[in-house]
Amino acid sequence: MHASLSFDQAPPISVPYRFFLVAPWFGVMAGILLAWSGSDAFVSRWTPEALALTHLIALGFMLQAMCGALFQFIPVAVGGNVWRPKLVANTVQPLLLLATLLLVAGFLFSRPGLLSAAVPFFLLALGGFVMVVALALWRTPATGMTLWAMRMAIGGLAVTVLLGSLLAEALAYGLAVPIVELTNVHLVWGLGGWALMLLAGVSYHVVPMFQLTKPYPLWFTRWFGPLLLLLLLAWSLRLFLDLSRWSMLVTLPLLAILSVYAGLTLWLQYTRRRKIHDATSLYFRVAMVSMLILAISGAAFVLWPALGADPRSVVWLGILAFAGVFVSAISGMMYKIVPFLNWLHLQRLGGPISAVPNMKKMIPAEAMTGQLRLHVLAVVLLLAAVWQPGLTRLAGLTLAASCAWLGWNLVGSVRRYQGFRDQIRAAA
Amino acid sequence: MNTIIDGRDMQPPEPMERTLEALDTLGEGDEVLLLLYCQPHPLFSILRQNGYTWSEESRADGTREIRIRKQLG
Ligand code: HEM
Repeated sequence: MHASLSFDQAPPISVPYRFFLVAPWFGVMAGILLAWSGSDAFVSRWTPEALALTHLIALGFMLQAMCGALFQFIPVAVGGNVWRPKLVANTVQPLLLLATLLLVAGFLFSRPGLLSAAVPFFLLALGGFVMVVALALWRTPATGMTLWAMRMAIGGLAVTVLLGSLLAEALAYGLAVPIVELTNVHLVWGLGGWALMLLAGVSYHVVPMFQLTKPYPLWFTRWFGPLLLLLLLAWSLRLFLDLSRWSMLVTLPLLAILSVYAGLTLWLQYTRRRKIHDATSLYFRVAMVSMLILAISGAAFVLWPALGADPRSVVWLGILAFAGVFVSAISGMMYKIVPFLNWLHLQRLGGPISAVPNMKKMIPAEAMTGQLRLHVLAVVLLLAAVWQPGLTRLAGLTLAASCAWLGWNLVGSVRRYQGFRDQIRAAA
Repeated sequence: MNTIIDGRDMQPPEPMERTLEALDTLGEGDEVLLLLYCQPHPLFSILRQNGYTWSEESRADGTREIRIRKQLG
């Protein structure tokens, strides 16, 4: 019996869940949009469909899920306190949702006015989120590289949003800014400075913990984040200097550190103390293999410019990054976080430990691995569709189906939480 | 009676479940030694609020030794 134990006031379970439950449905929208637009979408990165798709995934799927995870991860992993989590989440999440829909509609229907309309909502939602999270991350007494990576990531998010807002206003009002270069800088901060930095920092903590691997070596955790930051700053110099002849000197080291992170994570999984093949480990493997393919094909495009000259080559890299790396890693993380949170919050009800069901009962294992297989099929079809446009619609439908299945699994888990909660309360 | 819980090869939340179970039977002067590769912040906050103290030490291989006792007085 530990009915007398009281648990800390970590955020209520609704805080992360309101983000997690919407994220997959943006993936569904992306899949449907792709199926609807067909083979035109992937002709180049600048098609209205491609721009809408990137932001459906980057903001609708990834950012929603990552914000929700941060609310939870900050108290659990680095012992920080987020200011009024419920209030902040209840404000940020709907604003973010609205802003994303406006931005995506602006891209899709080529209506710059909508891009501009989205900007204040983004600044409000993410400005508030960045401030609250940064405060929590700087005030915690914890130390370590996970914390530093998270601090850098939240800075990366701020830079991404500011550059994205500038781009949106520039397109709406025809401001005289170098759109293409600015976009290239915005996208590496979004994917590298924010998403990858956060993923790496979280990996240092959760890969050993959940996948029972050895810890990441110290030399790696010390250098990866700072080096990534340095390379992003160097990449951003293109806004001020003509670096076309030097860009290889930044791109190749950037791809090299990606492959070190991916290769190391795969190696840790391969040499782990106990072999477990749950959906989370497999999803991380898919993400890391995608990152390796991205690094290798990216390097090939740089070294053999004839290959990279095809506008589809960047689309190929984009699919690897969004669907291959981030959607996979985030799905895998949600499959671990959601059952764990169910368990933690059921513990908090104060019943006996034996009354709280095992974490494995929260989402059936077959439902997770089945969904994972469908996701892998979607990634393969998306990649094939870059070179075989006839496959685009099928790839879109598969993506939509796998994201819907993910969403359904998460909804099922929340239902189970409610069921167990009512049982425990009734017994008490 | 002292209890040792080697949580290094367990998947969360097993180490926490075992620790909470062990705390239920912890007597004055007894100690629970928990071995992990990370800092269990959720456990710390439970300990803090329920009158336990703990100390932490890291070994060279990254293992953390967490020793938990009842707070005196
Ligand atoms: C936080 C995560 C974000 C990520 C990962 C991200 C990623 C990207 C990527 C990859 C591109 C290039 C698309 C392509 O080449 O097809 C892009 C372009 C763009 N993004 Fe974002 N973005 C993010 C947030 C935002 C936000 C918050 C805004 C608006 C406030 C925004 C506005 C834009 C605009 C206007 C473009 C340029 C479109 C063009 O030049 O036609 N982005 N973004």
